[in-house]
Amino acid sequence: MGESSRAAPHGLTLPAPARTVGRGVRISLDRWFTPFAVLPTFAVMLLVFGLPLLFSLYLSFTGWSLSQELLGGEFVGLANYQDLLDDPVFIGSLGITFGFTAAAVAAQLGLGLVIALLLNVDLPYMRVFRTALIVPMMITPIVGALCWKLLLDPSHGVFNYWIGERIVWLGMPGTALAAVWLVNVWHSTPYVALILLAGLRSLPSEPREAAAIDGASRLQMFRHVTLPLLRPYLLVALLLRTIFEFRAFDNIYAMTGGGPANSTMVLSMFTYLVSFVRFDFSLGAAASWMMLLMSMLLCLAFIAVIRRRDAN
Amino acid sequence: MAGVVGSRRVRRIEAALVYLALAVLAAAFLFPLLWVLGLSLKTRPQIFADVPLFLWWPTFEHYADVLSRADFLKAFVNTLIVSASAVLLSLCVGVPAAYAFARFPFRGRSFLFFALLVMRMLPPIAVLVPMYVLFTKLGLATTRLSVVLAYTTFSLPLVVWIMRGFFEDLPKELEESAWIDGATRYGGFLRVVLPLARPGMVAASILCLQLAWNDFLFAAVLTNNATQTLPVLMAGFSGGDSGVDWGAMTASGMLVILPVIIFSFMAQRHLVAGLSSGSVKG
Repeated sequence: MGESSRAAPHGLTLPAPARTVGRGVRISLDRWFTPFAVLPTFAVMLLVFGLPLLFSLYLSFTGWSLSQELLGGEFVGLANYQDLLDDPVFIGSLGITFGFTAAAVAAQLGLGLVIALLLNVDLPYMRVFRTALIVPMMITPIVGALCWKLLLDPSHGVFNYWIGERIVWLGMPGTALAAVWLVNVWHSTPYVALILLAGLRSLPSEPREAAAIDGASRLQMFRHVTLPLLRPYLLVALLLRTIFEFRAFDNIYAMTGGGPANSTMVLSMFTYLVSFVRFDFSLGAAASWMMLLMSMLLCLAFIAVIRRRDAN
Repeated sequence: MAGVVGSRRVRRIEAALVYLALAVLAAAFLFPLLWVLGLSLKTRPQIFADVPLFLWWPTFEHYADVLSRADFLKAFVNTLIVSASAVLLSLCVGVPAAYAFARFPFRGRSFLFFALLVMRMLPPIAVLVPMYVLFTKLGLATTRLSVVLAYTTFSLPLVVWIMRGFFEDLPKELEESAWIDGATRYGGFLRVVLPLARPGMVAASILCLQLAWNDFLFAAVLTNNATQTLPVLMAGFSGGDSGVDWGAMTASGMLVILPVIIFSFMAQRHLVAGLSSGSVKG
């Protein structure tokens, strides 16, 4: 490293006259480096993120349709939000989203922790298992969901063949919700397992050694040493998965489309249908903003957690 | 001591149990994929056989069929173009910003940085609704450009997050000695830092490429038949039930995921940092 650090800069030495003459100019240009480096990113983000979100806030307070001028909507106050709160499907989708998110995240954390602990055992060939277990999270979600749809197919699916019945899994509210949940758990448990495995590997070994000398049993060691040390990683995984399950869409779109009888109508699906099937962009914008506010709260919690950890 | 002999035996039993548990889990996690891979290698009568076949002579007829379809190839090219453009745009814009974030304190640095993180995490549907309206009014809807712009909403924050972590790990002395030798900040960045950051840029590109390749929602809304991407084409298969051509569907599904699986294995070391947006280092 020392070699290259000395060798590289020499190639950059400017001719002497330019250095003396241009010094003042150079320093003032250097002062502009940070703005020059950072501004493009924020310009792009404002353009593709800030501007649309502001426009959507505007839409949510107007009655607007695609045939109107861009800013030609009529101001309607909170009427769109009122419509949402009066819509039983929206209220239902709030409950489904919260319940679905909680159930999916709980299963992912539990199973992910088990997998991480197993993979952390010091044995040969662990890489093979690690590789096999993370395949689901790499797969294009739409394709993963379609695979499951074929497995669950009422007449030709292999699951129905095994149990010897013709259950229409995706045609009944209870089983449809369970199927969508299962697919999300299958797809995202590897994320949690990898985060926790990284956590387990970075834990200091002294507390465990001290506990072993004190004669702690395996279970005591796990409960009183490993788990508390792993807490920051569990918290990161919990919040990240909550944030991402809250916006779940692809699997549900491919498997049930929100049905049957709105039983899998999560908020993303509701907003999608209102905006791109009913073409009610004002209502869609209002639903978007409800989602945005809720996920911003989750993000702030996440940021508080990682800032506290970085401060320590 | 008797305990030593006993503990060795206990350890062996434990190892066997760990392997068994992992084997069961791995089988459960891989089964859906392997089963569908199997379906894609069966003839139509074999796919719909009353008793599923577990042993058969594989056929590649569905792959040949899918690869000769104009819509599949078109979607493949579209996906490649929009994913690669989004990644390239995000790298060009985001890498300098990541470097500034890592090295130079400035007012509002941590606020701006966390703002980027929040943008990566907000629900995409919430951005998509107004984006669709704006793009339609601007005449950009259904173009590939609109999809590329939509993808930068997630790939740009991801590039900045990953690259910041990468730049922070580079020794600061490298640029500092370049500055002393008369290099400007710009020269130091372009000629000293950037070449060293190449592995990080490769990892960030792969992670973004994976996200863009897998995206369904943005592409579903912002494309038409001519500009659709592979996930959108795949979703078209989910419409009917038994009327669907299972052979073509399974074979195209396998072809869609093949590149992402390859990318992901290439960036396996960096997966953790990427998926936790840099908040956990892998």
